[in-house]
Amino acid sequence: MKSSMTRRGFFGRTAAAGVGGAALLASMNSQASAADGEPIIVGCPSPLTGIVAADGIEFRRGLELAAEEINTIGGILGRPIQLEFVDTESKGDDVVSQAAQRLVDRNNASALITGYNLETGTVLPEISADAGVICMHAQTQVTHEEVIKSDPDRYWGSFMIDPPETFYADGLLEFIKELETKGKFDRPNDKLAIITGPGNYSVNIADTLNEKAKEYGFEVSLFETVKVPISEWGPTLSKLRADPPAVIAMTHYFPQDQAQFMLQFMDDPTDSLVYMQYGASLAAFRDVAGDASEGVLYATVIGALQDEIGIAFREAYAAKFGADASPNSGGQTYQALYMYAIAASLAGGVGAAYEEEQNRKVAERLRGLIFRGPMGTYRCVQETQSAYAYPAQTNDPSLGMPHIFSQIQSKAEDGKLVAPWPYIVADFQLPNWMKS
Amino acid sequence: MDIFLQVMVTGLTLGALYALAATGLALVWGTLGMFNMAHGIFMTVGAYGAFVAVDMFGFPRPFAFVFGLAAGGIIGAATYLFVARFMIGRRNFETNIIVATAGIAILAQDIILKIFGAYPFSQPVVIDGKFSIGDVIVPTQRVLILVGAALLLLGVNILLTRTKLGRAIRATAMSIDAARLMGVRTSRTYLQVIVIAGVLAGAAGIMVSSLSTLSPQMGGNPMLMAFVVCVVAGLGHIGGTGLAAIGLGILEATIQYFLGVQYGFPVMLLLVILFLIWRPNGLFGKQLVVRL
Repeated sequence: MKSSMTRRGFFGRTAAAGVGGAALLASMNSQASAADGEPIIVGCPSPLTGIVAADGIEFRRGLELAAEEINTIGGILGRPIQLEFVDTESKGDDVVSQAAQRLVDRNNASALITGYNLETGTVLPEISADAGVICMHAQTQVTHEEVIKSDPDRYWGSFMIDPPETFYADGLLEFIKELETKGKFDRPNDKLAIITGPGNYSVNIADTLNEKAKEYGFEVSLFETVKVPISEWGPTLSKLRADPPAVIAMTHYFPQDQAQFMLQFMDDPTDSLVYMQYGASLAAFRDVAGDASEGVLYATVIGALQDEIGIAFREAYAAKFGADASPNSGGQTYQALYMYAIAASLAGGVGAAYEEEQNRKVAERLRGLIFRGPMGTYRCVQETQSAYAYPAQTNDPSLGMPHIFSQIQSKAEDGKLVAPWPYIVADFQLPNWMKS
Repeated sequence: MDIFLQVMVTGLTLGALYALAATGLALVWGTLGMFNMAHGIFMTVGAYGAFVAVDMFGFPRPFAFVFGLAAGGIIGAATYLFVARFMIGRRNFETNIIVATAGIAILAQDIILKIFGAYPFSQPVVIDGKFSIGDVIVPTQRVLILVGAALLLLGVNILLTRTKLGRAIRATAMSIDAARLMGVRTSRTYLQVIVIAGVLAGAAGIMVSSLSTLSPQMGGNPMLMAFVVCVVAGLGHIGGTGLAAIGLGILEATIQYFLGVQYGFPVMLLLVILFLIWRPNGLFGKQLVVRL
């Protein structure tokens, strides 16, 4: 693989980026050059087409940027990383399974790294277990944890690099409570409207919100499940306008559907905070919604931070892929590949597909790794092989992936991080449609 | 009253889109006996055509709209000239053409994907603005969709009922042999029909994408709804197709409001099953007679 970056140029930039572990990798590779060794194949089964392709494309980009950087400093113990991608077409278990199997059998991948796919959360752990390879993903589903706990010895190689979706509901309710405590939001009534898609991820968050709302003094005035993709929000908006809630929480996460909601909502907005799950963090949301995106809150348990490390990553990402690229999704696979490269180097190298013994050593290193990247700190919960959540599971931000809340304050740029400390870069602002 | 108006605005918009999408499908189905699985991709091509006209060529929106219609017509013509005409009249045409057009749809979708990627672009051919009826805010784009669809369908109706071309199409649909004996060049008529269907699909694609975003697979759902409309309306009656589409649009919006959004489409599919069992020729369709 020919790199367009020099080692000197890389260090100039990565030093600024502060990418945790890059120096460690470089020192382990000091006796080797990336061009010397046989490539290590990293496979990425990713939704490159279809309804969530906006994310899938970024997953690919994140890997490409990380691989380029890592290869510039010698790859993994002198062996360059070679990426292979198979499109999962935004489809379910069957297609994801075929894609992952192909990467293992045909491309001889040593590891499978991706963001998320529209699967149940069981496919990649199964393939990884059968093929004896490492699998890292940001599926953000409690299903992963249940699978790992069901048979830890079988699923030794599967890692979810972020916390599960179950933290979202509590996190949102706590966030609103904090806004109220600080006098930044005064709810006009106690009603909460929940809009969800049909997928497990969205439904789990919506159900938990529904269960917990009462504890925070909310009454769920609307619980709407929509068919996806959806562009016609008329009937749902009619219900919202007939009985305006204080908070609208959309757990359906497709950015283009969320954008259409906001465009149609803004025709006649209600006096409600609008929270959107994940999708609003993507550039596509702002691009489609335009002015209507401003004021929207969103959250993610794996998003690019806006501190020194995060900004340096964002800049490098924008320089390579353009200003419209979304570091919030690309950063997931970027961080994962760095983690994998470090763990593999510490383990003394990787095994190919079906070479379980060496790959188990890599897994062992991943279980013990604490890695600070542009998305925050990964530390592995041993029994579930997923990431600790901050602030829900640890009050130390250096030991957990932050559940970040952002607000789009200008359509021209990513949302500003408004919680939690110490990552805050801007104050929450009451949306314009509520002020008026 | 407000709720009634909101539901009507949504229902009429959906109905207008379904009518445009279904009329082209019904026209080809009724005339050529060809269930065109590529009809959805005709919509996609039309939508991307309008997008390209603005984004790459800088055309004003009305010209871009026409460009999108032309793009729909061109892919329609290509489908006929390069595929369908070689299959018409052969054994098992009705089945084989479904497979062939499904292949065209997959191929064209892939080509669009290669050219434009999967990014959800916004459709630039839209009209901003809104007005109110009572307490209900109505975006101007929705009125444009309704009026545009009505004008296009009226045009097709006039074309079919008041012109020589229309007579040729109707004659060919009734009996290809009789039409030939009367001097109708049926091959050309088929081409004209599929171009008209492509133009209507192109218009539907532009309008659908104005309410959502562009994507290579955007024609899939509207095509399914067009199929539902064709089954409910039956073949051979443009006005009937339009009425059925509007009715289904309002029914779907009503179900979405009163029962929940997720029940809208399943009820439509249930309707298809019921119609196929109890009224296979639809509400306005004509009885097919097979002469042995």
